[in-house]
Amino acid sequence: MNPLWIAQIKAVIRLELRKTFFARRGLWIYLLAFAPVALFTMQAIVENHVKGENPPAGARLITDQELSSIRHGMTMEEVTARLGQPAYTNTSRHPGPDSAKDVQVRVMKYPLETGQFNVVFEDGVVTGTWSRRGGIPFYKETYVFAGVFQFFFIRLAIFFGCLGIFMNLFRGEMLDKSLHYYLLAPIRREVLLVGKFLAGLLAATVIFTFSAALQLVAASLSFDASTISQFLYQQHGFSQIGSYLLVTVLACIGYGSVFLATGLLFKNPIIPAAIVLIWEAANPLLPTLLKKISVIYYLKSMCPVQVPVDPGMPKLLALLVSNTEPVSAYLAVIGLIALSAVVLFASSQRVRTLEINYTTE
Amino acid sequence: MSSQIVFDNVSKFYGDVLGVNRVNLSIPPGITSLVGPNGSGKTTLMNLMTGLIRPSRGKIEILGLTPDQPEKLFRLVGYCSQFDSFPKGLTGYELIYSFLLLFGHDSATADELAWKAIDRVGLREAANRKAAGYSKGMRQRIRLAQSIAHNPRVLVLDEPLNGLDPLVRAETIALFRLLAKQGCHVILSSHVLHEVDIISDQVILMSGGYVVAEGNIQGVRSEIQEQPMQILIRCDQPNTLASRFFEEDHVVEVRMHVDKKGLLVKTSDPDRFFLLMNRVALAGRRVESVAPVDDDVNSVYEYLIGEEGVR
Repeated sequence: MNPLWIAQIKAVIRLELRKTFFARRGLWIYLLAFAPVALFTMQAIVENHVKGENPPAGARLITDQELSSIRHGMTMEEVTARLGQPAYTNTSRHPGPDSAKDVQVRVMKYPLETGQFNVVFEDGVVTGTWSRRGGIPFYKETYVFAGVFQFFFIRLAIFFGCLGIFMNLFRGEMLDKSLHYYLLAPIRREVLLVGKFLAGLLAATVIFTFSAALQLVAASLSFDASTISQFLYQQHGFSQIGSYLLVTVLACIGYGSVFLATGLLFKNPIIPAAIVLIWEAANPLLPTLLKKISVIYYLKSMCPVQVPVDPGMPKLLALLVSNTEPVSAYLAVIGLIALSAVVLFASSQRVRTLEINYTTE
Repeated sequence: MSSQIVFDNVSKFYGDVLGVNRVNLSIPPGITSLVGPNGSGKTTLMNLMTGLIRPSRGKIEILGLTPDQPEKLFRLVGYCSQFDSFPKGLTGYELIYSFLLLFGHDSATADELAWKAIDRVGLREAANRKAAGYSKGMRQRIRLAQSIAHNPRVLVLDEPLNGLDPLVRAETIALFRLLAKQGCHVILSSHVLHEVDIISDQVILMSGGYVVAEGNIQGVRSEIQEQPMQILIRCDQPNTLASRFFEEDHVVEVRMHVDKKGLLVKTSDPDRFFLLMNRVALAGRRVESVAPVDDDVNSVYEYLIGEEGVR
């Protein structure tokens, strides 16, 4: 590439990054990007709290049948005969109903597959039972992550984040009446477009891949090291992580190019952005050929974990989940980059004839 | 490479609204002023010249380049526009420095050129302050610095003296003169006509999107035959001289100057009048000075467009 163009692109990126990363009006993008991190962190905190009282590995798990066999009024011996010795026991004394003498309260805790079953005794007789559910098993956690990634992160966080970043690259400066700063420099308009796109892409990629990485870390916080190690080394964990990060970058490229174009082609880009949102959501309903003119079509094909369609799942959600005509990862990458290149080419044609007419903006 | 700026039958319409129409111009080096009231098409002409807008019809060439080649054009052209916004968060220095990086300059060159331009507009002390906090005059100066930082051969300036205090205004005019002397095209717009008189080598008078006159201001004045020329004569015997003037058929009006030490004469034939003045002088009458008083831009503009056009 022409060294002058490289120097000019660097200069554009330098100016743009500053605006993109530190703009006060871009704060909502950070909130949107890091919302799933907060979600997974909270989930991990709750699960760790539950697991903190769980028995060491190897303890017998109580089945639902055993659990439902415990009745009020049973003695401690009857309960231990059915459930065995508890993993933990808490004992305390409380004033009785007539305050004349204290009541001994004992809680016996038994591990469930996902949580804990508690039997409460007062003076040696069962007066209550309750269970605390939690502790999603690892294989289910990968589905949860896949669901959040596909439905919130790609379709909403990256979609709207890229809308905020890329649409402002030209349209925002038209509204701020500062675009002439670039247009008065001896820089090819196409080079300016590439510089702005790369700046937006760099910003979006840093924000969203960092968020995706943090989400992966947060989602794994509630699992022990051996489970994570097993996932990474024996269940293609590294490959999955790589795929998620790649999908994130490609989503930024795809949606970035689309929103850069809408910002250039339309004076009020909100309506076309809404159309893009509907188009992306309606992708499963489209004929095969039209599906390919969509970013989500390629991204879904590259997601490493497909969200299982539960029979009880609402039809619309099931439709969004399903990927009836997936393409191979290679074709998906090539298809998405080709789609973005076409959109950027259209943008470059527009930017070549772009006029500054702030009064009509 | 051509040394002219050429507009060949250029028109610009904003939808149904006329920007400029059928403009044919050939602008030589020196200081050229675009004169006209608000909405007359001055800024449109400048934006067309710099490719910020495209003509609906016609062709523009700047020293042989077309405005749709910004990568070449802006190495030769600097434009100090009236757009008052800057990229957010930049100091005055960063504004110029970053702009020069867009030219492909390395950091050291951009730094050197930036400080040179900042010094030329006298803004060194405020250079490290955020440009958004500058006063109107400082913003004008930083925009001027941006437009001259790369030493352009064509400098396009939209109302460049707006908001400047008298001292800076004088310094800025001196800078324009220096640049023009160095062979630069300095094209500026103004609606302050007396300012234009002081600065310009040539003027382009505009009204309603049309160029109504162009050229050296005295030349333009002499072309306006239907308006008698007004001449002020300073002399010691104005009454005697007035009676002499009334004998001439081309003298249409003679008025005593308010200080009673001169005459204001209107003549429909300036050439014959100046010959007459030669004869008067040779006849021994003492005449201190003879000077046209309506060959300034203000008068010319008034004659061509009417009083409503003059601001």
